[in-house]
Amino acid sequence: MTRIVNNLRIFFQGAMLSYIALFAWLRPITYLASKVIMPLNQLLFFTFLGISATGKDSASFYIIGNAVQITAVSGIYGVTFSVGGERWSGTLPYLFGTPANRMSIFLGRALFHILDGILGVVLGFLWGVLLFGLDLSKTDFGALALTILITTLSTSGLGLLMGSLSLITRNIMFVNNTVYFLLLVFSGANIPLDLLPKAMHTFAQALPLTRGIAAAREIVTGAGVGQVRGYLIGEFGVGLMYATLGYFLFRWFEIQAKRRGTLEDF
Amino acid sequence: MTVRKFRSYLRVILSTFEMTLRQNVLDGFIVFTVLIQPLLIALLALWMLQAKSGEQAIYVIVGSGMTGLWSSLLFISGNSITAERWSGTLEVLVGQPTPIQVIIFGKNLAHVSQSLGSMIVAYLVSSILFGFHLNVQQPILFILSIFLTVIAFVTFGLIIAPIFIMNPGVQGWQNAMEFPVYILSGFLFPIALLPDWTTPFSYLLAPYWAARALHGTTSMGTPLAEIGFSLLMLIIFSSIYIIISNFLFRKMLYKTREDATLGFQ
Repeated sequence: MTRIVNNLRIFFQGAMLSYIALFAWLRPITYLASKVIMPLNQLLFFTFLGISATGKDSASFYIIGNAVQITAVSGIYGVTFSVGGERWSGTLPYLFGTPANRMSIFLGRALFHILDGILGVVLGFLWGVLLFGLDLSKTDFGALALTILITTLSTSGLGLLMGSLSLITRNIMFVNNTVYFLLLVFSGANIPLDLLPKAMHTFAQALPLTRGIAAAREIVTGAGVGQVRGYLIGEFGVGLMYATLGYFLFRWFEIQAKRRGTLEDF
Repeated sequence: MTVRKFRSYLRVILSTFEMTLRQNVLDGFIVFTVLIQPLLIALLALWMLQAKSGEQAIYVIVGSGMTGLWSSLLFISGNSITAERWSGTLEVLVGQPTPIQVIIFGKNLAHVSQSLGSMIVAYLVSSILFGFHLNVQQPILFILSIFLTVIAFVTFGLIIAPIFIMNPGVQGWQNAMEFPVYILSGFLFPIALLPDWTTPFSYLLAPYWAARALHGTTSMGTPLAEIGFSLLMLIIFSSIYIIISNFLFRKMLYKTREDATLGFQ
């Protein structure tokens, strides 16, 4: 019992302290620019591009897709920096020197970015309603909230894997940016999946967001949790797979770095 | 300016250009910004527009290439001076006889020119992967438009770089400035889709005139007068940018010397 309480304490305190320590540079203006204005602009750009391609009637397709995709800003970039930031800040030896439960440390890194990601998606929908008149009259808001939560969790799962990768590569910004844009292209946020070549269609199924975006679109047109259950289970499974891979990579990195003395080696 | 001085400046610009290109090849962030991102945007737009003709495809290629030009201008050229400060070379550059604007011009020229590579890659992808037959309707005017676009972007970079270094608060907005210019300049869709009140903002952006000129020269039926007007606007904007940048560089150098913050991190 004490062990569980301890691990929970490490999870929450680690989440809070790592966020405060690693994101101290995040001033209100930077936050506003990166987490509010940039996603809004991205949503506007792709929605207008979509309207230009297929007409005004399909605007909701792009608004919903891009609103949900906004979670990747926190899920990919934020979570990656939360794990990799320990190395850049030179605090990794202290972290790995503690007897703290590694799973609690690892998963705790994502907590605040999950909350942040959910907020981003809600804002995305709000922009959609205010600027494009997105119709949410048939929406089951409970189901939409669950979809946003699960999609944010699964995207953060990929972020945790990227974070572990950032411990073994210098070019993580390159990888992160590429993954972020691949999600824009292949998650179905902007292109109906049946328009993609078959191989890309298969690739899309292995990505987080793909099923979450599909579920959100159905919920906005009136579907309930029961009808999108398959999507949600799949989305959660994909996220879990990435988080698990990330955790094993994190553990492997710790063992290898300790064995070779390369904990601070770039 | 004497011919001798001009030649000396030209030599500095070319050396800086070459050195910057060599450095950039190894930088993952730059490779992504100038090559990968525009290419992914091109693929995305080709699928979204379900482009069926070569003319639609070339519109996307030019538009996505322009997104690369703007992003590289904003994120890389915008940091041209800041990067020297970070590497501790700013004092040396300011202290030597060639004006620092000339060096930054060479750096920006390298950043902007290499972004054109994304257009070439997107062109190849569209013709090989998608099988489009791609034609540039007015090749000579297209080359002229590219040339004037590069100059306009480089000179625009000469304004952004000193603004960013003098006002770190403005640089905080860097992430938020990328997509608005994509939208307002009509890189990938016409600005007629936007509300009317945004049109004057488009007219104030050199990238808008660059997009008009490049789209005009690659598509059929654009009147020569319209292309000519866009090119004229690019020349006017470039001249204005040079005048403003001279003022900004003087102000920046004076301020950093007065405050003794030239190498301040």
